[in-house]
Amino acid sequence: MIGRAFLATFRAILTDSAALMLLIGSAILYSFFYPSAYSGEVPTRMPVAVVDLDHSGTSRSLVSKLSALQQAEVVARLPSPDDALRWIESRRASAVVIIPEGFERHILRGEQGTVALYGSGAYLLRSSTALTGVGAALSALGRDAATDQAMALGAPAPPALGLIQRPLFNTREGYGSTVFPGVTFIIIHQTLLIGLALLAATMRERHGPLAFNPRDLLGIALAFFAIGAANVAYFTGFVFWFQDMPRAAGSLGALALAGALFVAATVTAALALASFFKTRERPLQLWIVTSVPIYFLSGLSWPAEATPDWLVLLARLLPTTPGIHLMVGVNQMGASLAEQRTDLLNLVALILLYGTVTIVRYCMPSPGHNLRRPIG
Amino acid sequence: MAEPSGPPRPGAAFREGWHREIRFLQSSFWDRALVGWIPLLLMAVMAIQLSAGVMRDLPIAVVDQDGGATARELVRRLDAAPGLRVVARPPDMHAAERLVRSRDAYAILLIPRDTQRTVLRGQTASLTVFYNASYSTASGAAVREIGAVVQSYAVQLAKDQIATIEPGKVRPPPITAQTTILFNPQGSYELQLVALIHPALLHLIFMVAVASALGRELRDGTIGGWLGGMPPPSAVAAIAGKVAVYIVAFMAWSAVATGYLAEVRGWPVLGSPLMLFAGYAAMYLAYASVALLVTGLTLSMSKTLSMTGLYAGASFAFAGAIFPIESASLFARLWSALLPYTAFAKLLAEQWMMGSPAAASWPHIAIMLIFLVVGAGIGFPRYIAAATTPAVWGCR
Repeated sequence: MIGRAFLATFRAILTDSAALMLLIGSAILYSFFYPSAYSGEVPTRMPVAVVDLDHSGTSRSLVSKLSALQQAEVVARLPSPDDALRWIESRRASAVVIIPEGFERHILRGEQGTVALYGSGAYLLRSSTALTGVGAALSALGRDAATDQAMALGAPAPPALGLIQRPLFNTREGYGSTVFPGVTFIIIHQTLLIGLALLAATMRERHGPLAFNPRDLLGIALAFFAIGAANVAYFTGFVFWFQDMPRAAGSLGALALAGALFVAATVTAALALASFFKTRERPLQLWIVTSVPIYFLSGLSWPAEATPDWLVLLARLLPTTPGIHLMVGVNQMGASLAEQRTDLLNLVALILLYGTVTIVRYCMPSPGHNLRRPIG
Repeated sequence: MAEPSGPPRPGAAFREGWHREIRFLQSSFWDRALVGWIPLLLMAVMAIQLSAGVMRDLPIAVVDQDGGATARELVRRLDAAPGLRVVARPPDMHAAERLVRSRDAYAILLIPRDTQRTVLRGQTASLTVFYNASYSTASGAAVREIGAVVQSYAVQLAKDQIATIEPGKVRPPPITAQTTILFNPQGSYELQLVALIHPALLHLIFMVAVASALGRELRDGTIGGWLGGMPPPSAVAAIAGKVAVYIVAFMAWSAVATGYLAEVRGWPVLGSPLMLFAGYAAMYLAYASVALLVTGLTLSMSKTLSMTGLYAGASFAFAGAIFPIESASLFARLWSALLPYTAFAKLLAEQWMMGSPAAASWPHIAIMLIFLVVGAGIGFPRYIAAATTPAVWGCR
């Protein structure tokens, strides 16, 4: 019985082009489509405009050193700060370096020469990291630029404390390797959910209310589990390798268990959700609009510490929230299962919750069944 | 509904298209939800999640191998910084890394042995911060804050030493950069993200709603009775009347979203609000035309909705406002250029945050109107032709 339902489910998917596209085609499509957005990885060179109001030897040497920086590309040398503002407003430059009048004089006197660095807050996420880099590079340039000062006054004392920054896990720190591993599990989650609900709604359109005996239901669930597991294997095994994302940091056993729990929670949630739809197109209509909020709620790009507590708790009802933490933990951070037991238990709780809803909805059609408002 | 005698004129067809859609929405709970509480709910969830704007009390761990007074004072200063909270003082790096892997801390500050002695000798003691680059938003904020605390403490230490070591020997570094963030001086992620996420959600839901409205007539075979007998100008007006319902509804949501951030949260629109709304209108017209184009080409509601998910669902990644698209592949840059949202995001940055003159944003509106011309130019004839081709109806 289980085997028959398993095979029947695959037959149903293969004979429905929309479901086939959603469940299998879109994973392949999105695996190439999405990473292309991040193929630039680290923003290589930030376009910077320079305003030199000092016109001295020191300022000229600073400008020429600026153009050699890895983080910045000098796109214009402008006569006034007003011109520079216009360059920022029209997005031709992301930052402006202004060297004030008297810059060289200050340095020769043994004081600090202050350079003003203006970044565009209209693109805060893009510019904050780059600005920090340019700011640090400017200070470092100062050491060379200060030879004149040293000749006059002797070398300055080194600062008392220095800070070395070392990234852990995602060492290349590209946008892609930060965002895409999260997006991956949103893709797997959403395509399973929508594809399964679309099939269930189509069956309900044709045959009326759906009811299965527990063995058939298990067979159906296993078929979707197989698709989800194949997706996880495809992304963590092939796509992360092909796109050269941080991967395989944890053990294969941890990956298998974490992946299985994520897919099981997603399939039970999808079955539970699908039991409410009775129009074929409805799941597509209502569910594709949720991807961006689901991604942010996972807490990968916006930390739970800065999210209201009740929203963090509600977000844990989505399989993607613990799922993304687990998969990033296993694939990038090399975290062990013990270190991630909260997320594992979260997934187990979701499997139990949505599994119960699924069994109640499909195996025990109550007399009041028709009173529930079906979607569509 | 009484059939009018003879084909309706465009004005009447527009009104009929409008009323036809209103009547349908009144009868369908879930289609009504898609223009009603669903956009409100999704926008509210994002607004609430990001309402903190800046990240405070991010958990970090300190491994203090030195144990001297300098290290103790540094830890005190770190804990007192608004952005940080020292949650653990593990004895070694091994234990500290475990905290990061279980996400109990975003960063580890290692204060090595002999820090105190190095500082007293007047040399530079190197501290190392290890941060979880997999969670880059939070750890980036934590590292910036740690850097600021360390730097200000170093300045304090230098001042203290002037008294003890020979004066004049201690001088600040010769060049320093003072960084100012223009247009968003508080560095608020709320302004940056919510201002962009709301229109990203709205245009996606809008395109889904329009694709559903257009596709439904084909699926149910009702397009024939509706447009079949009309001359083309009236059919165009009838379709425009149907779409106008959604444009009005989503312009209202745009006003709610803008009002929330500008009035309730206090991030005023520095440029022209009128231009911003003109941008919204142009964006909706562009996405309505793309929905018409795709419906006309696929003649299938489910295929159009899937393509809507691909096209309008990924705007946020490809618009270049959050992630730089300039250095991405040719395909990504091309795809980005083919999204009206890309032009809208530029207009939004100019008119909301930068306070650019209204005229500066006309090019973005012009770009969005190109989508209208191309989409409508191909979409209208295809869709209207389907009204007299019963063979293509009912395609699922």
